[in-house]
Amino acid sequence: MSEPQTNEAQKNEALKNKPSAKKSVKWGEAPKLTILDALYLPAIVSGLATAVRHAVSGKATTRQYPEVEPEIPPNYRGVHRLNRDEAGRVKCVACYMCQTACPANCIEIIAAPAPKDDPHWKDRDKFPATFTIDELRCIYCGMCEEACPVDAIELTSIYDLTGMTREEMIFDKEKLLSVFDETVKTGRDPVRTNRGKLGPAAELSSTAKDAPPPPGRGKSG
Amino acid sequence: MVKVKVNDIEVDADPKDNCILAARKAGVEIPHYCWHESLSVVASCRMCLVEVGETKPDGTVAMGPKLVPGCQTPIKEGTIIRTDSSKVKTSQQMTLELLLLNHPLDCSICDQAGECYLQDYTYKYGKAHSRLDEPKIQREDKYHIGEQIALFTDRCVMCTRCVRFTREISGTAELQVVARGSHEEIDVFPDTPCNNKLAGNVVDLCPVGALCSKDFLYKKRVWWLKHADSVCTGCSTGCSVQVDQNDNKVYRLRPRENPQAQGHFMCDEGRFGFKYIHDERRIKYPRLKAPSATTNATVRSTEPSDLTFADPWPMVLADTRKRIQTAIQNDPSGFVVVLSAFMTVEEAYLLASYIKGIDSRTKLTLGPIPIVGSDDLYPKGPKGQSPAADKVKFTIRAEKCPNRTGIEAILRHFEGSVIQAESLGKSSASAWFVVGGYSSGWVNEKIDQAVGTPSLLIVQDIFPSPLSERADVVLAAGSFAERDGTYVNHAGLAQATHASIRPPEQARADGRILMDLAGRAGLFNAMALRKEIGTKIPELSAIATGDLGEHGVRLAKFANRPAAAKS
Amino acid sequence: MINNLINSLFEYWPVLWPALAAIGVILAVVPFLGLYMTFVERKIAAYVQDRVGPNRVGPFGLFQAIADGIKIFLKEQLIPDHVFTALYFLAPAFSLITAMFALVVMPFGPVATDYKDGFRFIVAPGIDIGILMMLAISSLSAYGIIVGGWASNSKYSIYGAIRSCAQFISYEIPLGLSILGVIAITGSLNIEKIVEAQSGSLFDWNVFWQPVAMLVFFTAALAETNRLPFDLPECEQELVGGFHTEYSGIKFVLYFLAEYTHIVTVSFLTALLFLGGWHFPGLPGPSGASTPILLLGLGVLLAKVSLVVLVIILLRWSLPRFRFDQLMGLAWKGLIPLGLVNLVGVAIVLSLGLPKHLLIATVILPVLGAYYSAAKFNASTAIPNATRQGLSPQGAVSYE
Repeated sequence: MSEPQTNEAQKNEALKNKPSAKKSVKWGEAPKLTILDALYLPAIVSGLATAVRHAVSGKATTRQYPEVEPEIPPNYRGVHRLNRDEAGRVKCVACYMCQTACPANCIEIIAAPAPKDDPHWKDRDKFPATFTIDELRCIYCGMCEEACPVDAIELTSIYDLTGMTREEMIFDKEKLLSVFDETVKTGRDPVRTNRGKLGPAAELSSTAKDAPPPPGRGKSG
Repeated sequence: MVKVKVNDIEVDADPKDNCILAARKAGVEIPHYCWHESLSVVASCRMCLVEVGETKPDGTVAMGPKLVPGCQTPIKEGTIIRTDSSKVKTSQQMTLELLLLNHPLDCSICDQAGECYLQDYTYKYGKAHSRLDEPKIQREDKYHIGEQIALFTDRCVMCTRCVRFTREISGTAELQVVARGSHEEIDVFPDTPCNNKLAGNVVDLCPVGALCSKDFLYKKRVWWLKHADSVCTGCSTGCSVQVDQNDNKVYRLRPRENPQAQGHFMCDEGRFGFKYIHDERRIKYPRLKAPSATTNATVRSTEPSDLTFADPWPMVLADTRKRIQTAIQNDPSGFVVVLSAFMTVEEAYLLASYIKGIDSRTKLTLGPIPIVGSDDLYPKGPKGQSPAADKVKFTIRAEKCPNRTGIEAILRHFEGSVIQAESLGKSSASAWFVVGGYSSGWVNEKIDQAVGTPSLLIVQDIFPSPLSERADVVLAAGSFAERDGTYVNHAGLAQATHASIRPPEQARADGRILMDLAGRAGLFNAMALRKEIGTKIPELSAIATGDLGEHGVRLAKFANRPAAAKS
Repeated sequence: MINNLINSLFEYWPVLWPALAAIGVILAVVPFLGLYMTFVERKIAAYVQDRVGPNRVGPFGLFQAIADGIKIFLKEQLIPDHVFTALYFLAPAFSLITAMFALVVMPFGPVATDYKDGFRFIVAPGIDIGILMMLAISSLSAYGIIVGGWASNSKYSIYGAIRSCAQFISYEIPLGLSILGVIAITGSLNIEKIVEAQSGSLFDWNVFWQPVAMLVFFTAALAETNRLPFDLPECEQELVGGFHTEYSGIKFVLYFLAEYTHIVTVSFLTALLFLGGWHFPGLPGPSGASTPILLLGLGVLLAKVSLVVLVIILLRWSLPRFRFDQLMGLAWKGLIPLGLVNLVGVAIVLSLGLPKHLLIATVILPVLGAYYSAAKFNASTAIPNATRQGLSPQGAVSYE
C-alpha cells in the first residue's frame, strides 16, 4: 500500500481514468469466513445430519429391475417392428425411405414385385422380399419411423434386447413381424401411428400428464 | 438468328426454335410433359402455357390475350415470352392439379420417384394440395404391354410421347390411346405387344412413372445410382449412354442425348445387353499356364485359386514381358498381335506401340469383326419395310463392335495396312498375343485354326474361350463399363467412355494391364494418352485435345459425313 | 531342554490358556468383522445415497460379504512383472500383522484391574505401558503401506506411499499429545486403569473434561486409519488406488482387513479412553462381578464401539477428501497447537490441585483458534479501500 510520493497528483489523475476507478465498477468480494466456518465442526455436523436424514428417510430410488419393470415413456424408441396391414401382410411397400433416412446404414431391403397371381396380394405392387435390420448397428434414432410413408416400421418399447451372438441380432423380416405380433398381442405397443395422423411425439401432449416421470428424476436431495 | 426476350432477358435464338428452346437459351425453364425435341408437337399437356407477345415495328409491345403453349408457338424477331407472371403461374398450378387428379401418388413404390417430372414440377410449380374429394379412378396395371415394359396405367398423364415414338421413330405404331376424356388410356391392340427393338425408349420418354422397364423394376431406387458417361458397345453406331451403377453393380443403361452420334435414343439390344459384364463365367484372375525358364519354383507351383488374396499381377506381367521378348527375339516376324475391335484407341495404341517398339517386324492384325445380319433402319414402314435413306431416324448396325474405325486407324499407322487375323489361315506364326473383350463368344473356327498351338499364346479376354483354354498366359481384362478410353464409331466420331465400376476380383481394365506390361511410368490416364496419340498419329489428330466433351469429336477424314442419327 | 520347555508350559498353563483363548477370539472375530464391516459400510453408503445396497445374496443381502470373500479368495494370483516380489508379498501381511498386534493390549470387554486367573477379555492383561505400546505398534502399520507402495514399483503406488508416510508422521504427534492429558491425570499408561478411573458417574468419563483432547484424538486416529476424509494414500481419483494399485485378490484383502482392523482399534480406543469403556452409570465394575454383569459390560462397550464405527462410516459419506496442504495444515496448525494448549491446561490443573472438570473450559480453545483463523482469512481476501477508489495500483484490475 505504500506508494511512492513523487508525482502523486499525476498518478492519481492517471488512476482515476482507469476503468476500475469508475463508479460503475462493481466489486465482487470473497465471502467472509465466520467463526463457525473456521471451526469446521458445524459443517461436519450438518453434513452428518444430511447423511443421516437420507439414511433414515427410507425413500430409496433404486428400482428392483428384473422384478419391477421400468415405466417406459410413450415415445420410447426400442426394438423395431414391421407392422402388418389388416390382411396380415407386411405393411411395408419397400420404398426404401427408411434405408435412405437411416444414418447408421443398418437397414437393408431387397424389393420384389408382389405376387399378383396370389389373390391375397392382388392390390399390392411391390413388397420387401427381404427386410433386414442390424440391431447392433442401429442407433435407435427413429428416423426410419419418421421416414416411413405407410407407417410400416415402428420402434417399440422393448428396451431389453439381448443376444448371445451378432448373427441373432440381425433381424430379418419374419423376426420383425414377430416383434409386431408379440407387442400387439401383449398390448404393450398398440399401433401408434395411423395414416393421416401425426407421429407419437405429437400425440404425447395429451398423454404426458398420465405418464410416469422418467426414471431417476423422482426426487431431489 | 432472331432476338427474343424471355422474362426481360434478351437472347439470340434460332428462328426454328419454339418458345421452350428459346427460353432454355435464356436459362429459363418452361415446364413441359408432352413436348420432346425429336417428336412431333401435340401441345396436349398444357404444362408449357406461357404469355407470348410481339414487339411492334414502332417499339410498343403487344402481349397476346391468352396463354399459349410454348411448345407449339414459333418465335420471330422481337417475340416476348413471359413465364413468371401470376397468370402463367396460376395456369401451371391448375394444370398440375388436373394432372394429379387421378394420379395415385404412389411415389413410394414408383420406380420413377427421384427422376419424375411430376414430382419435380409439382415441387417447383405446383400447389400443396388437391381439391378433389371424390375417390380417384383406379385402373389396372398392364404388364402385357411389352416384353420389356410395363404400364402402370393410373400414373399416366396422357402426354402420348410413347405413342408418338412408336409412330414416328420406330414406325411400328403398337401403342395407342384408347377411349376418350377421363377414360383415356394407353394400350396396345390385342396380341400385338410393344416389342420392337426400340421399345425400351418409351420408358425413358415417359416423364412420369407410367411406363417402367421390367428389367429394372424395383431393383434399385434411382437416387442411389451413380452415373458415368459411357458409350454403348453393342454396335458401331456407338450410342452415347449413361451407365447407372450402385455398389459396383450396373443396373441400367440409358441413352445420353448426342446429336453427333445417335440422337436421343438407343436400341434394346444395347440397353439390356450389358449384363454380360456381371456374368459369373468371366475370367477373374490372371493365369500362367506353363512355367517358363525364368519363373522360379515357388511361382510355378502357385495355383490360380491361390492367387485370390495376393496380387498376382506383378509376377504375371513380369513373366509375360519376358516371354514376349524371348518370343520376339526368336522369331520376330512370327509374333502376331490380334487387336480386338472392343479395345479402346488408347489400349490398342499402348499394345501396338509396345510390341512394335520391341521389333518392327512383328505383325499387328485385326481380330474378327462380328457382323449380324444387315443394318436395321428406323422408322419402319407400315409393312415393316425400311425407310428411304433420307427418312432414317435410327439405325441399329450389323457391325456389332464399337471401335473398328479406331483400331483400323491404329493398324494403318503401325502396320501400314489392316490385316484380318482370320485371313492368316493356318499360319506359321510362332507366338500370338490375342486380345478379346467381346461381349459373347468370338473365337470362330478360322481364328482358332489360324492360332493353332503356337510356342507362346497370350490371351487377354473377359470370357473363357478355346484360345484361353490353351493359352500360356491369360490376362483377365475389363468390360466396357470398367474401361476409360475412346471409341470411334462407324462415322468417325471419337467419343470418350468412362469407367463406372471396378472389374471383378483380380481382373483389370485393359489399359492398366497394357500400361504395366509396356512398362510405362504412371497410371493409365486416357486423356493424357489421347493427347499423345493425337500428336503421333495424323489420322487421329482430332483427339489430341484430350477432352472430347460430352458429344465427342469427328475425325478429320469423316468430317463431311452427315450426322450419324440421320444416316 | 525340551522337557524343560514342556514343564514350564505346564507350569504356566493357568496363565497361558486365557491368553490363548483371547487370541483365539480375536483371530476368529477380526476377519469376520472385517468382512461384515464392508457389508455394513455398503449398506450405510446406499442408505445415505437413497439406494438399497446389496440385497440379492441371502436375506437382506446378508451373504453378500461371504460371497465377496469367496470370490476374492478364489481370484487369480496376479503378480505384475515389475514388482519386488518378496516385499510385494510381505507388505500386506505386515500391514495386517501390525494391525492385529495392536489388539494385544486392548481390552475388548470388561477387565478388572485386580487380575485374577481365568478367561479375560484381553490377551495381555496388566501391561503398564499398554497405551504406549498400542501407539507404537499402530504407527508401525505405516510400514505395510510404505513398503507395499515401494515394492509395487509403480508411480501411483509410490505417491500413495509417500503421502502415507507424511500423513503418519504428522498425525502421530497430535495423537500422542491428545492422550497425554488423560494419562497425566490417571497417572497410568495401563488401559484398564484408565478405564477404571472413569467409573462412577457419567461425568467421570474423560470426554467430559477432555472434549478437545477427544476431538484431536478422534481426528488424528481417523487419519491413521487412512479413511475419508484422510484417504490421501489411496485416493482413487488421483492415484488410481494409491499404494494398493498393483494389489488384487487375497493380497488386497489383507490390506483391506488391516484397514478395517484399524477402524475397530480406533473405535475401541476412543470408547476406552474417552467414553468410559465398559462403564455405564449404575452398572457395577468388573472387579469380582458375576458373568451376567460382565456380559452386560461387554454389551455396553460394544455399543459404544458400534456408535463410533457408525460415525466413522457416516463421516466417509458426508465429507469430501482434504487437499494435501489442507491435510498438513490441519495437523500442524490445528491439532498440534490444540493438543499442546490442552496439555498445558492439564498441567496447570494438576499442579494447582484444581478439580479436573474445570478443564471443560478447554472447549474455548478451538473457538479461539477458529476466530483467529477466520479473522486472518478475511483480512487476506478483503479488497483494500485504496484499490476500490482506484488510488492504488496494487490489486486493482488493470484493463490496459
